[in-house]
Amino acid sequence: MQAVLSSDYSFAQFRFLERLLLVHGRWSYLRMCKFLRYFFYKNFTFTFVHFWYAFFCGFSAQTVYDEWFITLYNLVYTALPVLGMSLFDQDVNDTWSFQHPNLYVPGQLNQYFSKTAFFKCALHSVYSSVVLFFIPYAAMYDTVRDDGRDIADYQSFALLAQTCLVITVCIQLCLDMSYWTAVNQFFVWGSLAMYFVVTFSMYSNGTHINFPASFPFIGTARNSLNQPNVWLTILLTSILCVLPVVAYRFLLIQLRPTINDKVGTLTNHTGFCS
Amino acid sequence: MMAPSYNAKEEDGHQPGATGHGGAGTMTNKKPDNTAFKQQRLPAWQPILTAGTVLPAFFVIGLIFIPIGVGLFVTSNNIKEFEIDYTGVDMSSPCYNCSQSYSWNNTQSCTCSVHFSLDQPFESNVFMYYGLSNFYQNHRRYVKSRDDSQLNGDKTSLQSPSKECEPYRSSDKPIAPCGAIANSLFNDTLELYYIDPNGSRTAIPLVKKGIAWWTDKHVKFRNPSGNNNLTVVFQGTSKPVNWRKPVFELDPLDSDNNGFINEDFIVWMRTAALPTFRKLYCIIQKKPNNMTPTLPRGEYILEVTYNYPVRSFDGRKRMILSTISWMGGKNPFLGIAYITVGSVCFCLGLVLLSIHYRYGKRNNSAEISS
Repeated sequence: MQAVLSSDYSFAQFRFLERLLLVHGRWSYLRMCKFLRYFFYKNFTFTFVHFWYAFFCGFSAQTVYDEWFITLYNLVYTALPVLGMSLFDQDVNDTWSFQHPNLYVPGQLNQYFSKTAFFKCALHSVYSSVVLFFIPYAAMYDTVRDDGRDIADYQSFALLAQTCLVITVCIQLCLDMSYWTAVNQFFVWGSLAMYFVVTFSMYSNGTHINFPASFPFIGTARNSLNQPNVWLTILLTSILCVLPVVAYRFLLIQLRPTINDKVGTLTNHTGFCS
Repeated sequence: MMAPSYNAKEEDGHQPGATGHGGAGTMTNKKPDNTAFKQQRLPAWQPILTAGTVLPAFFVIGLIFIPIGVGLFVTSNNIKEFEIDYTGVDMSSPCYNCSQSYSWNNTQSCTCSVHFSLDQPFESNVFMYYGLSNFYQNHRRYVKSRDDSQLNGDKTSLQSPSKECEPYRSSDKPIAPCGAIANSLFNDTLELYYIDPNGSRTAIPLVKKGIAWWTDKHVKFRNPSGNNNLTVVFQGTSKPVNWRKPVFELDPLDSDNNGFINEDFIVWMRTAALPTFRKLYCIIQKKPNNMTPTLPRGEYILEVTYNYPVRSFDGRKRMILSTISWMGGKNPFLGIAYITVGSVCFCLGLVLLSIHYRYGKRNNSAEISS
């Protein structure tokens, strides 16, 4: 009894051990590593953009994004999706996990989150931050709206950069998830919708009239998100961030398929999805 | 010692019956619910990056991006733009004397005339911008240095501006509008004249209204209420240090453009994101009959009242004339970027297709060796 009370897991029969290791243990390792890699990626990307902006703002530590966005980014816009992935993700379902015990090997070899994996994640973040800053920079350089007025102002640029970031990290999460339940879908699209809802309501007339100093971005969302070249910039940035990842992963599956890939392909071919 | 309620022969998941000895009365069932949610059996879609999804996606993206890029590039090329730097850096430039002789105590404005010619006529509405280079409107201390409550017409903030405006918060009296952004308001005056082939000058009418965002002009910036006479409303405040006239004299003839809601002031207060930027100065309306171009080909003179010093920080001032399209001003970057990304995507699709045919099929066997 004392052993049970002081242990992380306890079970009554030895045959439960197989399920604990091969299914739950493996899933737990997978989820933890995916969560960590993605969390580092989204926060490094978010931060490295400021590094590039420093060269253009006199190294004065001016933030690229709105202060409210910085507060709400980890709290509201990207919290639930990554939580959903770390709770529900499965690369291979439980029956197939029993049939192919060598799926457990990557965990033993520490392959999913090692120094190499972390370094690759950081490299990916650097690339994403370059795209996320320099594409909007070049698109907004000396540009104006379609009625001739300003769009290269700080607030519009901040809104553009943050919208690109949120959409890109959402697409990246969709690529990382291998098990799309209804709950996951709701979390991801709900968070994205929440971003637009919160942004529009914070940048509305009412909030500014009541709290002028706290919500100075009034009118920015309306005036810049109705411009076609803003949306074209967002589309280009998101696709450019994500395409190399897709190409790289596809190449790996073709040239060096792991056991997970092979089992995954089998799963698809026989239509055995729970 | 084995827990009394368990029986080795028991089936997995069955509730222990009355065979458990030592158990008191009814047993609580600690088994989790056999629902899809709790047993992680939720119906789900498991997408896999197969050749059947990835390769068509690459080709489709390539085929969509290239026409978009071509459209953007062609549109940008059709926009006419003319830019002229009038800082007066070279000794040969017309504004050299003005740039050298600047002093803060000047009551006499320096004027200079810059000649230029347009090779092509400009149709439809033409927008005149002033551009600044090496001017960091995005410096953090500069961006913070404003009081949005005061600019929104709040009477308390008018008399006691925010601390963020330091050191431009008060000089013997509170400054309205306070802060470094307002203090550095661009105050050059630009006028445009067309020179007929027979030598006579015609002034080109410049419209100075409708240059700021509607939300800025009508919601964000408001004059303090209480009196139609702005001189009375702004009593007890002083003008910013580097201004020549106070805020209620920015446009005394037009009460809709005076005080905080002056459109030049609003445009300046919308700080730029990058150190090289342009701001709308005025609009040259198209002619009522669509026959004559707004700005015909020929010689022009730009008369500059040179009030704004930029030489000290190696900045540059320029005047830009530009037409507009659905994608805004002339910026070929998006068009070129779309064409590049589209072609790279298409080529990558071809490369991946060849790799898939050579190597992919070989690995796609049903055998999974351990």
